[in-house]
Formats: sequence, C-alpha cells, structure tokens
Amino acid sequence: MGELAVSATPEDELVSMGLGSCVGVALVDRERAVAGLAHVMLPAANAAYSAPAKFADRAVPTLLACIERLGAERERMIAVLAGGAQMFAGAKTGVGGLDLGARNEAAVRSALADAGIPVRAAATGGDRGRTVRVRVGEARVSVKEAGGVEVSLWHPHFLADDLVEAS
Amino acid sequence: MITRYDEQQLDALRELASIGSGTAATALAQMLGRPVELAVPRALALPLADALDAVGEPDAMVASVVLPTTGCAGGDRGDAEIIVLLLFSYSCAANLCEMLGVEPRSELGDSALGEIGNVLGASAVGAFAQMTGLTLEPQPPHVLFDMLGAVVASILSATAGELELALVLDASLTVEEAECGLSFLLLPTVGGADELLGRLGLDPVPPTR
Repeated sequence: MGELAVSATPEDELVSMGLGSCVGVALVDRERAVAGLAHVMLPAANAAYSAPAKFADRAVPTLLACIERLGAERERMIAVLAGGAQMFAGAKTGVGGLDLGARNEAAVRSALADAGIPVRAAATGGDRGRTVRVRVGEARVSVKEAGGVEVSLWHPHFLADDLVEAS
Repeated sequence: MITRYDEQQLDALRELASIGSGTAATALAQMLGRPVELAVPRALALPLADALDAVGEPDAMVASVVLPTTGCAGGDRGDAEIIVLLLFSYSCAANLCEMLGVEPRSELGDSALGEIGNVLGASAVGAFAQMTGLTLEPQPPHVLFDMLGAVVASILSATAGELELALVLDASLTVEEAECGLSFLLLPTVGGADELLGRLGLDPVPPTR
C-alpha cells in the first residue's frame, strides 16, 4: 500500500496484492526488461510529505523517474492499470463515499496523460478486488480478480507466447 | 517514520479495544447461544505499508462485514469515525449462517452476517460512547466476500487520510465448538482516534513530520 517498486532484473516479478479502491499502475518499457509498479491509494496529495506512491499525482512522476534511472525510455513506455473498484457500493460515508476507486483511476490517467504515456490495457472499476503482477523479463502484466483466474492484460507482440511462465 | 501515538496512548487505545471487543464477544455469545473466547487485543499504530501485513495475507479470500460509524464530536477536530471490520473465513461464514438457521451465501445468509456485524459493532461503539461521551452512530453494514487486501486497504485509504499511519485495534474471537475464529477490527480515522484519546484526557500530540 502506498509503495512502489521498479526492476531491471528479468527474473523479477512485481506484485500488488488485493487492490480494492487502490489502483496498481504498471509502467513497462516495450523493448527492454525494465518495469515498475506503484500502489496508489488516493487521488491527490495535500500534505508536503507522503509515501512515494500513495497519491496518484506524485506516484506517476516518481515511478517514471525511477524506471528511467534503470534505463527505460519514455517513448517506449506503456502503462497498464488495475484496481479502482468500488468495494462498498452505495456507501454514504467514510469507507466508500464519492467512489474513491473511480477518482483514483481518473487521477492516474490524467497524470499519465501529462507524462505522455499511453494506457494500453486496464482492468478497473467493478466491485471486486484484484491482484496485479508484472513479470519483468517478459514485460507481461497480468491480473487476477477475487475468486477468478489470472489473465494476461498486456505483453509485447514480439515476445513469443511459448516463453516459460516465470512464477 | 511518523510517531504520533506514544505508549501511554496506545495502552489507552488497547484498553478501549479490550472493552469494545469484550462487549462484542458477549453480544456474539448471546446471539449464537454458545461461549465465545476472546484473545488479548492488540493496538497497533503502523506505517500504512505495514498495516495490511499485520492483518493478514492481502490476496487471501475472506468473508467480511464492514460497519462504518459516524461520530458527532461537536468540536473542531473533524470527523470522528470508527470503521468496525469483521473478518472470517468462508467456512466460518457458513458455520455462522448454519448456527443462525439460514442458508450460507444466500441473500438471507449475507443479511444474517451483516446483522452479526451490526450487533458486534454497535455493542463495541456503544461501549466507547458510554466511556467517552461521544455520540457514535452505526451505519448500515456491508457484507463482502473478497480479497483481504482489497477490503482493508479500501478502508485504510479512507481512515488514514493524509497521514502515513494506520491505527489498528485488533481482537480475535473464537466461537467454541464451531471451529470459527473471527478477527474483530476497529479502524478509527485519525480524527476518531484523537477524539477518543482527547475524551480520555490523553490529548494527542501534533504529528511530527
């Protein structure tokens, strides 16, 4: 929660487990095995200090800077989103008011648009939790919905599908 | 890391959790007609990133009842809210439904689980209200079968607000002869915790950043 991770190690797998109203933002370099994943909790920061990935408006630039440092190029970068569910449908106060999930997603999309990074796939909205995985070597992003099976959200075309699944 | 609550304040919150969960355990025992055992509760003030791990495996599927309560503090401390959260396994959910004579995973079954959340939550916050003079009003419960992380993080997003800190008051209830353990969590907003502490004469220190 509120954290981010980046990697240029092909064997690595970046995971955000149990995303509800939070949004998992994956940035992937299409041609190099460099990827990053942030777990965004809230749309915008008011406080001067915060965990790097907690707020959408800070998480996107921070994640971008971190994966560029590992050699990712912005022109080759794509984004994949997961999460942003409305867990407590119909809640008037506290836990679910004002559809936090949708606001998180909108804030992430707007920050990505500002950075010029296209969103190529998304598993967002609804009322179920999700787990998102980024397999760095394959540049593959997959998502598993609560009670469901893992499905591939995005992977580069030039990578053969018969690559061994890193798990 | 932010140190907001000192040991004395955490002790006071633990004591509140203890009284709240004790009252809830009694209510559950009455409802089910069976003894309910209560483990010593924890009061944890944790960085957000660690709070989820303290509760359990984020992608484990759990049954949960979420009961928001809103408080009327009548002061300028902001919203005094406490979210009551009950977590239990699918099999425990089925056992509880059977004990109450309703079909598990049916509309009636979910409604019965919501009622358990209602009774436990209302008795706990009722005890808080009595101790602190705070008006706490339970809202309708939500019953969810989903990933633990999705349920807990979505609540903590709302309670933690700008702070990097989550306050988790956690007790475990075991229904005897039923192989059923429930986690009973009280997740106050920062305003809610401050209000409770203030009423107990332990005013919170301003956050050090």
